[in-house]
Order: sequence, then structure tokens, then C-alpha cells
Amino acid sequence: MADQFQISADRFASGMTYEQYKTQMTQRRDEFEANERGWEIDPDDLAAFCALAQPLNVLVLDEDWCDDGCWMLPILGRLAAESGKLSIRIFLRDQHPDLMDQCLNGAFRSIPVFVFLDANFKELGRFIERPASITRLREDGLRWVMEMRPEFRIFETSPALASEQQREQVMLLVRAFASQYAPLLRREVVRDLRMIVERANTQQLLSEIIATFPSPSETQA
Amino acid sequence: MTRRPVKVVITYCTACGYESQALELAGALMRGLRTELASLELVPWHDGTFDVVVDGELLHSMLRDGGFPDDPDTIIAAARERGWG
Repeated sequence: MADQFQISADRFASGMTYEQYKTQMTQRRDEFEANERGWEIDPDDLAAFCALAQPLNVLVLDEDWCDDGCWMLPILGRLAAESGKLSIRIFLRDQHPDLMDQCLNGAFRSIPVFVFLDANFKELGRFIERPASITRLREDGLRWVMEMRPEFRIFETSPALASEQQREQVMLLVRAFASQYAPLLRREVVRDLRMIVERANTQQLLSEIIATFPSPSETQA
Repeated sequence: MTRRPVKVVITYCTACGYESQALELAGALMRGLRTELASLELVPWHDGTFDVVVDGELLHSMLRDGGFPDDPDTIIAAARERGWG
């Protein structure tokens, strides 16, 4: 894992709640709220979140124009609402570069970012941009298109070099692809977030057992 | 030699929120090139793009060059070079 995320309790509390974030949205709110609806969380996945011994803090970095954020954050919002075990605070990326720079995606300030923190604000795990499986699927989709229509390789250099007709055709493919993979995307996001929570549960279990052991000094005595 | 107006295409990623950078560059090119500009096309795109093409030549690519163009004057000067007929 990258360096531990650093934030104080006061700073965390200064972030927006999920509802406050939605209220301040000036772009894509309809799309955002549409992505909250029309799908169900698998009960087994939800149970993993409900099983948390203590609620977790989740710091979010996002911006309302962000396409990936418009997909991923409503999923986190649903998990928080239905489990009652996630306390979300949202910070706008461009207003909080010090927070963002703790979560770089290589050289990029990719969003959304979800940082899971325990009650003492110690990092338990983080989610950046989108699941790796979805990134791979997008890359595969691009490769399949290039194989079927080699003239679209111009987009590998720059879409600005493509004709208007080619750009329209590619946008048609992108929209079809996105609608096709929406259910898979939700499953994969939930799976990635569940893994972070399962790790937190496991860590909690181990620390509870270890707490029952005699301390090393008692053992030596 | 006479000057021929140039065609500029700016492609920007809407998912990354690059609208303001695209508008800023477009404004600088409009003010800097004035009638030396035959057309200026703004193309909303995705995948982290911020590219500038002048008369079919890729002058700046976020993927290739990284980031945004350093200075609109560099694009203006390059566009003027291509406009000499």
C-alpha cells in the first residue's frame, strides 16, 4: 500500500456529507441520482458491510463533472445508506490538493478516490478511479474495435486527427459499451469495496483475539 | 508569400472537466490569430484527452507531451508558420 493517508478528525469532519455534496452539484446531478436507482446490492455483499463491528470513515475526493465519479460514488452512497456502517465525507479534488496528492494514481490525480479509515483515522484501504478489471475490459474493448476497424487506430494518436464521422462512430461504440458493462461495473465496484471492508473485519477479529493473549512481559514472568 | 488561414481542432476530455482549459485556449487563439483562423473546432471527448491539431498536424497531445500546452503563444506561432503559403 502507498503511504498511510494522513487526516485529522477535525479536517475529516469538515468534508461534505453525501447529501450536502449532492446539493452543491451543478452538473450531472440527474445522471448521478439515476445511477443510485435501478439496481440491487447482493444481500451477501451487503452483509459484509453490515458485519462491521464499528462504522468506518470514508473520505471521498471527487468533482461533479467526473464521469467515473458519477458512476462510482452513487454505489458507495447506496452501500452507506443500506448498511448504516459508513460515514462519508466528501472533498472537492481541486480545492484540496494536499489530500489529493496523498492518493495519486501514478502521476495522475484520478478521481473518484475513496479512502477507508478506522475510528482513529488510520487507513484501512483505498479505491481509486475504477476497478482494475473494468480498466482491462475497456482496454480490451478498444483493442477489439481496432482489430475490426484498423482505420480507428488514428484515435491512438489523437481523436483530433479523426474525421467527424469517425468520432461519431466511436462515440456510438463507447455509449453501447458503457451501457453493456454497467451491471458488471457495479458488481466489480462493490466487490473491490467489500474486499477493503472484509480486510477491516479480519483485522478487527485478529486484534480482538490478540487482546486476550497475555502480554509478552506477563508470559516471560 | 501569402498567408492562408489555418484550421484548428481542440479535443478535450469532458470526463476530466477540461472545458475551462479548452475555452481558455480557444479564446487565446481567437484573439491571437484573428482572421488568420479559418475555423476553430472544439470537440468534447473522453479518456483524458487534451489535444490541439492545426491543419491536420498534432501540435499538442496530453498523452504524448503530458499536461496542457505550456503557452498559447507557442501554438499561435506554430499555427502562423503553417499558414504561410
